[in-house]
Amino acid sequence: MALMQETLAAATVNRAGVRWTPLALGSLLLAAVMLVAVAIGTVPLGPAELLRGVWHGLIGEVTSTADVIVWQIRLPRVLLAALVGGALALAGVAYQGIFRNPLADPYLLGVASGASLGAAVAITLGVSLTWVGRFGVPGLSFAFALLAVLVVLLMARRGNRIPVLSLILAGVVVGSTFTAATSFLMLLTPERTAGVLAWLLGSFSTAGWSAIVTIFPFLLLAALCTLLAGRTLNLLQLGDEQAAQLGVPVEAAKLLLIAVATLATAAAVSVSGIIGFVGLLAPHAVRLALGPDHRTLTPLAMLLGALVTVLADLLARTVIAPAEIPIGVVTALVGGPFFLWLLRKQRNLL
Amino acid sequence: MEPFRRVIGISLLLALIGLAAAVAYPLTVVDDLGREVVLDEEPRRIVSMIPSSTETVCALGACDLLVGVDQFSNHPQAVASLPRLGSAFSPNIEALVALEPDLVLADEYSGIAGMLEELGITVYAGTPQTLEETFESFETLGRLLDRETEAALLRGRLLGEIEEVQRRVSELPSPSVYFEVDATPYSVGPGSYVDELIALAGGENIIGEGFAQFPQVDPEYIVAQDPDVIVLADAPFGVTSGSLAARPGWSSIDAVRDGRVMELTSEQVDAVSRAGPRVAEAVRLLAAFFHPDVL
Repeated sequence: MALMQETLAAATVNRAGVRWTPLALGSLLLAAVMLVAVAIGTVPLGPAELLRGVWHGLIGEVTSTADVIVWQIRLPRVLLAALVGGALALAGVAYQGIFRNPLADPYLLGVASGASLGAAVAITLGVSLTWVGRFGVPGLSFAFALLAVLVVLLMARRGNRIPVLSLILAGVVVGSTFTAATSFLMLLTPERTAGVLAWLLGSFSTAGWSAIVTIFPFLLLAALCTLLAGRTLNLLQLGDEQAAQLGVPVEAAKLLLIAVATLATAAAVSVSGIIGFVGLLAPHAVRLALGPDHRTLTPLAMLLGALVTVLADLLARTVIAPAEIPIGVVTALVGGPFFLWLLRKQRNLL
Repeated sequence: MEPFRRVIGISLLLALIGLAAAVAYPLTVVDDLGREVVLDEEPRRIVSMIPSSTETVCALGACDLLVGVDQFSNHPQAVASLPRLGSAFSPNIEALVALEPDLVLADEYSGIAGMLEELGITVYAGTPQTLEETFESFETLGRLLDRETEAALLRGRLLGEIEEVQRRVSELPSPSVYFEVDATPYSVGPGSYVDELIALAGGENIIGEGFAQFPQVDPEYIVAQDPDVIVLADAPFGVTSGSLAARPGWSSIDAVRDGRVMELTSEQVDAVSRAGPRVAEAVRLLAAFFHPDVL
């Protein structure tokens, strides 16, 4: 711990700040993986068909089935996977930074349970409640995700401060309550259980350009705020009091970061369902490799999160193609063991 | 249609055997859990916790023996007034026991059978999953309820009705069919009951070789297969041909372009998905949609 603080203090005064080489390499790697992910899929397509599909998409002349698959299904799906992965990773960085705990993840404050309940309400009751039907699954899961976190924040608030411990406790309580309500809804409508469950396990299969356009503003806002807050996050690691002495408006910074991380997570979850481990693993892996300076950690974790999610989605749609595996299952199966390995490695480090 | 011929053959044979003698109680039947179900005398108070079994009991003319059903048993009309006993996975055991049933028809997955067995209540556990099992279930329930003649007649009538559809569509070209269970998208694959119905109705399910019974499908595959017709079993939950067209790339599918999308009502969904006496009705319904000019 002492070592970490020294490194941080050093990093904070170090003028170099962002380390560009790993960022450039990471961006290149992500681009390469995304290209591969667009090239591979259930329907085999040659390079010529892929290029034609993208070209026809760009000039607005999507006609053949191959064009449709490349431009309207596969490309947006890969892009959305990258965006969602990046969003989850940045939320992970923010939460881990705020709570000074590398095990915090984007779902800590009830986003997942809130979004799940929203989706379950839309899937099971969508038609009987007309005003609900209009917002659809993404709209409702987004709204409920924000609602859950809002309830958590209100419950945890002590005057104008939000103590970390009461935040986490409130998150657990609200999470369980929402989860119970979701389960109850599933029991009430067994014929919709498969639909709710499929959503809970995550999937990009219904993703299109409209989903990207819808969530992009939220992700952009969150990314900008979190990237610009690199130094603030670094100082927060020294503890609230010390950060305050160094001029950080601690409570406001925390609240802002929680707000944007929650927005990003809620937006991501609303179009893809619950995808675990990415928000936990990506920041953690980067921290182990390159240290805890947020000016490098945040952008690189986003790149890694995007990379991991694109790969996980590629696995999800190719392993048992033409059928699919929910992506949440893939990230859990691959992420779980990897995380255990990280934990072991970390013990040797600290 | 080889499997179908086999069903007919077996059924007719069983019908002949069945007609030869009335049921002699005490009767022992082995259920789907491999349990020996013993009935000392003809059951007079029956509880059905499976919608398809409820329909079968009524189709055998034994509707008046039912004293309670699960909350999803909504057909035929005669069961509407019966007490509701929850569902398979959240049964109201107290209310069920209070009805003092001498036979309970339950599913084999939920554990309800084991629970009732401990309470000394006679349970037959089993749900038909395929066409063959559906026809077997008529026969089994016919034996349990001493309605073997009715079971043989029901079987004969349904097989005749399905044969009639077969006769009219077998020579026609089969449209390719995508049957949607859920917008995820979930569909039905080989070995599932609905897949068999699609084939009987003269359709060609695009979810074929290599798929599981209830697969989540890559939408890419559906767009590439370009089905001629689409059946929406999730229509009662707000999926429409309009919402299909809004899905990425789906507006290029023939069925969506030509408006050959069938939005099932919730009653039609039950008729098609429940392996029970509405099987012929379901085949007719699908066939009329697959071959609108002929039927």
